[in-house]
Formats: sequence, C-alpha cells, structure tokens
Amino acid sequence: MAGELKERKINIIDTTLRNGEQAAGVVFSKHEKIRIARMLDEIGVPEIEIGTPTIGPLEREIIKEIAASDIKCKLFVYCEASPENVEIADCCGIKNVILNISTSDLHIKVKYEKNRTWVLNQLRESISAAKEHRMEFIVSAEDATRTDLEFLLKVLNLAQKREAYRFRICDTVSRLDPFRTFMLINNILNNTDFPIEVYNHNDFGMSTANAMASIRAGAVSLVTSVSGIGEGTGNAALEEIVMALKYLEDVDLGINTAKFREIAEYVAKASARAVPVWKAIVGTNVFAHESGIHADGVLKNPRNYEVFEPGEVGLTRQLVVGKHSGSHTILHKFKEFGIELTINEANDILALSRAMSVDLKRPLFDKELMYIYKDYEGKKPVKQEADDADV
Amino acid sequence: MRGLDILTEFSKKAGEKLEPKNIKIDDTTLRDGEQTAGVVFANDEKIYIAKMLDRIGVHQIEAGIPTMGGDEKDAIKAITALNLNCSILGWNRAVVSDIDDSIECGVDAVAISISSSDIHIEHKLRKSREWVLESVRTSVDHAKKYNLYVSVNAEDASRSDMEFLLQFARTAKDTGADRMRYCDTLGILDPFETFMRVKTIKDIVGIDIEMHTHNDFGMAIANAIAGVKAGATYVNTTINGLGERAGNASFEEFVMALKYLENVNMDIDTKLFRDLAEYVAIASGRFLPTWKPIVGANLFVYESEIRAATTLKDPKTFELFGPEDVGLERKIIIGKSSGVNTLTHKLKELGYKIGEKEAAELAEIIREKALLLKRALFDSEIIDSYNSFMGARAAKTASNSKGGK
Repeated sequence: MAGELKERKINIIDTTLRNGEQAAGVVFSKHEKIRIARMLDEIGVPEIEIGTPTIGPLEREIIKEIAASDIKCKLFVYCEASPENVEIADCCGIKNVILNISTSDLHIKVKYEKNRTWVLNQLRESISAAKEHRMEFIVSAEDATRTDLEFLLKVLNLAQKREAYRFRICDTVSRLDPFRTFMLINNILNNTDFPIEVYNHNDFGMSTANAMASIRAGAVSLVTSVSGIGEGTGNAALEEIVMALKYLEDVDLGINTAKFREIAEYVAKASARAVPVWKAIVGTNVFAHESGIHADGVLKNPRNYEVFEPGEVGLTRQLVVGKHSGSHTILHKFKEFGIELTINEANDILALSRAMSVDLKRPLFDKELMYIYKDYEGKKPVKQEADDADV
Repeated sequence: MRGLDILTEFSKKAGEKLEPKNIKIDDTTLRDGEQTAGVVFANDEKIYIAKMLDRIGVHQIEAGIPTMGGDEKDAIKAITALNLNCSILGWNRAVVSDIDDSIECGVDAVAISISSSDIHIEHKLRKSREWVLESVRTSVDHAKKYNLYVSVNAEDASRSDMEFLLQFARTAKDTGADRMRYCDTLGILDPFETFMRVKTIKDIVGIDIEMHTHNDFGMAIANAIAGVKAGATYVNTTINGLGERAGNASFEEFVMALKYLENVNMDIDTKLFRDLAEYVAIASGRFLPTWKPIVGANLFVYESEIRAATTLKDPKTFELFGPEDVGLERKIIIGKSSGVNTLTHKLKELGYKIGEKEAAELAEIIREKALLLKRALFDSEIIDSYNSFMGARAAKTASNSKGGK
C-alpha cells in the first residue's frame, strides 16, 4: 500500500487563516495573517485559504493585501455558495474560491429552510457567477458525511461537469471513524475519478486518522491547520498530517518540517492559545523523557522511544529528573555537568532527587540537582577529613 | 479495482458494527499519566482520582508502579484499602521482586511488562527473544500462584516481528495470563495496521487483548477503536490523554466515540467528564485546552454567524451530543465573525431589543472592535457598544427632526 501511495501526488490546503481564525475567540491581526501566510509559503505548503471576504470590509482589506504580496502558494478565499457572495469574493483580487454548500437533509432543512433542488440550483448559479468572473472554484459539500450518498454524487457530478478544481468532502460533525471514512471515499471514487479533497474535524480525536484513511482510499488533497486550530475541536493538524505521511506512509511532501515548532509557536501567540507541551509532533514534552525505563532506553538508542530526531520538527531532546527517574539519567545528567558519579553515588542522589520531586510536585531544575549533589558531597568529605585527622 | 481490495475488505468488516460489545476500560492516568515528564500527583490527589474513576464507572484502575517504593507504594496501598468496585492493577517489569511489591500493596491484578520488539530486545534489554519468553513464563507463574489477574504487556508490540509476537502471546496464554496488552509504545500504527495486527493475534492465539495506544501522530483514539473492532476487549486510557510524550488514548474521547460513532454504550457516567478533566488538569499542572475534544470549555461556544444561527435553530446540525452530556454549557459569543442573527440573539439574552437594520450596523461596529481588541467581546462591552450606538442614533434622529422643523 505504502509503495502505491508514494507515487501519488498529495496536496495540502491549509486553512489556519480561514477556519483557524473562525475558532471562537480567535482573531488574527493583519500583520499576523500576512506573517502566517508567509511562513506557510516558506515551508512549502502548496495551497492556503486566506479568509472569508463576506465577513466584512476589514477582512477584505487583509485578503487584498495578502493577494498583492509576493506569496507564491495558491491562494483561496472561502464563501457560502451564492452569486452575490462570489461577486464579493472576486473584489479581493484572488481568482480561486471555495464554494461551500450544505448537502445533508438536516442542514438543508434547518440552515437553509429549503430543499435539495434549491441546493443544486444555488450551486449552479454560484458556479456560473464564478465562471463569469473567471474564477477557479472548489465545491465544498458541508456535512457531506451525513448526506445521502446518491445526492452527494449528484452534487459532485454537477461540480465535475462545470469543471470545478476539486470536490471537498466535509466531515463537519466528525461523524466518521477511519474505516467509514475509507468506505465513503472509496465508494465515491468507485463512481468518479474526480479529485477529492477531505476536510475533517477533531471532535472525537480522530481528525488525523480520518484524513490519512481518506488518502489511503484515494483522496488527493487534505485540509489542515497549524496545530489543528479551528472551529470547535479544530481540524487535522498540518504537522501531524505531514509527519504521518512521511513516517507511516513513506510519502514525503517536501515540506520544511524543521520550522514546525516555530510556526506552531507563532500561531499560538497570534491566537492566544498555548501549544500544549504534549501536542503531537510539536509539543516540548514530546522529546522529554523522565521515567527510568524510557530515559535509559533513549540514552542507549533514541530509536527505542523516538521515531524521528527532534531536530526534524525544530525541537530538542530533554532528560528530565523527577519522581520516575532512574540512576542512568542521573549518571548522564552529571556527566553533562562534567561530574563522573559512581553507581552508588548515582543511586543515593537518585533517592534524594525523587524525594525532593515528590515534595515539590514537579521535576527538578539542573540547579537543584547540583544543590543536592553539593549537600551530598559536602557530608562525605567532612567525614573523610575527620577520619584523616584521626590517622 | 484501484488495488484497495484488502483495505476495503477490512474496512467493511470494521466499518459496520462492533463486536464484541463488552468493552472494558482500564484507566492508567495514575501510572502512565503520572509517568509523563514533569507530572507528579500528590498521594491525596491519586486517591481522589481513583475514587472518581470508580464512581464514574471504569472497570479497572492501573494505580501505579509498586516497585518504585516509598510514596508510590503508600498511594497504591491507600487505594486498594478503599475497597472500590473496580479492579486495582499494579504495573511491573517481568521481574519476580516487582510482583512481590505489587502483592504487598494488595492489588488484585498485575500488568507484567516486557518488550517484544527486536529493537528493544537488542538495544534496551540487551537480551534475546528466548530470555523474554522465559521472563514472561517465570513472572506469570509467580503472579498466578497468588491468584492475581494477569495482563502481560507486549511493549513496542507495533515494531515486533509478527511471528514472535504470536509466540509471545501464546506463551502468555499457556502460562495462564488472562490477557495481553498490545502496546503501540511509539504511537506509530495507523488504524488499518492496528486492525490487521490485533485481528491476527486474536484469531490465531485467542487471548483477551487490551489496547494501549499513544498519540505521537494524533491517532491514539482511532487506533484504540481499530483495536476493539478487531476484537480487543480492554482499552487502556487516561483522563485528558495524559501520558508519555504526546500522551495516551483519552478516556473521555474513547468513551464518547464508542457511544456516538460505534453505538456502544459503556454505562459510564459521562456527565462527570468535565469535572474529572478539570481535576486532573490541575493535579497534573497542565492546562485544559479550550478546544480539547469532548471536555474543552469552548466546544459548545459559537461565534461564527452561520454556525451559531443554525445551531440556535437545531443543535443537531452541528452537534452529535449535547453539552449537558459531558458537563458543559452551550454559549453564543460575539466577535469578529458574528452577524445580525447572533447579535440579536445575544442582545435579547441580555435584555435588549434591536431592529434588523440597526443590528446590521451595530454588528459592523462590533466586528471592528473585536478585530482591534483581538478577541471576542465581554457581555458588558456588547451592552456598552449597544448603548453608545443607540444613543448616537437617537441623538441623530432628534437633531434630524429638529432640522426638519
């Protein structure tokens, strides 16, 4: 399977600036948006969604500025499918638009208060408007995973006939697990060879797995965001998708992954959302080892507990001394400080360090380790001198 | 047709329904959760977490590593002394003295852990496969003398040679182990591979299997689900997914995914999820992200106009379960993506009326403000904006009508 995937071209379209910003409470400033777009461009993300022009004049101004910059990736704007919205979208100087329309009966009824025929007509007219403005367009089927397959294929068929750029399947409410994702995409591709893009949410923690499953089934494009930032639980994380493709499927997208930590930090600051230390791929704890068995294993050979080198994503390895540490970590730490301990000394210092860590409810700083060492050594020489004096 | 026959077949098998349905949770917040770099629970916290897990309905608690001694031992003893409904399990290396420490703590179950991958056997243990099997035999034998429930953990199972892993599982079963824990120690499986590997062990050896998955590539939950679809009956979870590196399969995500995606209800009191998550967040010194699946504070908070307005009409449009199911609340906030509908709704909630035309104008003012402040607005700010806007309007109308005279 992996061999077959390897030969396929997989596209990434990043939505940090669109759905990422749509997360409740998140606002990027103009400078931040431009900086994020630049960073994504620099590491080699091929396509990005930069905003929703219909939100208002301020949003349009920012989009125009990004459009006028020297950013090389293919830029997309996003709107709910309607001829008026296409008109507004075209004012921003970007000729690629995502036309979003809900396809599930529940959404059609509640969100639009219309019927399926209306959806097809609305899409048809929006496409015509896009074509009039010579815009390229992705048709995005919202709530596709709760949509009757026959109707979904009808919508897809319309998109294909009118020469859409791609067709997007949105798992808007995280309805699918990876197996059902696979079956759905596989079913669709048994009916058409049109390029399929998949958009996931993380409501049950499966966005990355679902994205990967859809690639296995033959989808060619994934929608991602930095650190998975997005509405609700967020989207499939750019860094997880890129590394999973590389290390689990042997597909290298040629993206400069060494910048992942830096970008995650920048987006975290701009969105006022910290990068959890345990965030997959880019969290600072991912290469921190405390427990005796793990730390010892990593010291013997990093491959025991690490799939790739921390530098590959812009992180560094850390050995942490705390409650679960073992004597090998102590030996190694002090060697770093330029002190060679005997096994007995290491065991004594380990016991003292563990006790202190339990007391403090946290691991120890290097300084604290040195204090422990000084106190410990301080006791020994005094006793020896006394012995010597006796002699 | 496109060379996907095997995956299609597996997906079909895994896709439709989940058998067996008697899936049990073995929560390891107190062991693998605490083992993560930087986390130390106080003994009082451990005891409280154990009580909460029992109350919420987990089947087994992995309470710690008895052989660490000292404080750790005290905590485990205190937990076994609570006489909870759930089983209490101690973690051990495949070493007899470790198991003796567990027995001393009064646990009714032990996990006996040893690596099964050649990488670990050569580079970590620096031993042979035969030595590994012999260690399994000796330690399981010892534990069984004391009538303990025994789980044999195949550490780094995902990088283990399948033939040897089967031999490992068979050895565990033949020596009397009750189950084997499949450890995806590095989090390197995807759900399809998980399904195939677990199904192979289940079909060939027929031992009960527990899934222990890690989130290094964001697939801990998907792999746990894949494991149970392949026949595993236990899942090793942690609250908030706390655990080594990127963490483990999160308890609350797994339970809700099983309930809402796979239609398996585990009789767990999910309404306590948010409380439990908050407690563990504080005890572990790690914040609870507002976007954390299932329990994040922002999950039922709506800002963008279309989504908010649609959810107000029927929550099912954007929610598979309601906030009350997990101890959260639904909220509309007003910020840069808000529009007429949400603003009108919010103002009404706050006790203010506004016409459609005015709402459109005020929405523009508010969006601009949110962009300037780089955040959503507080209720008091919305009211303040409303008052200034309506005041200015009234003044304008008054002066206009004056001018008219």
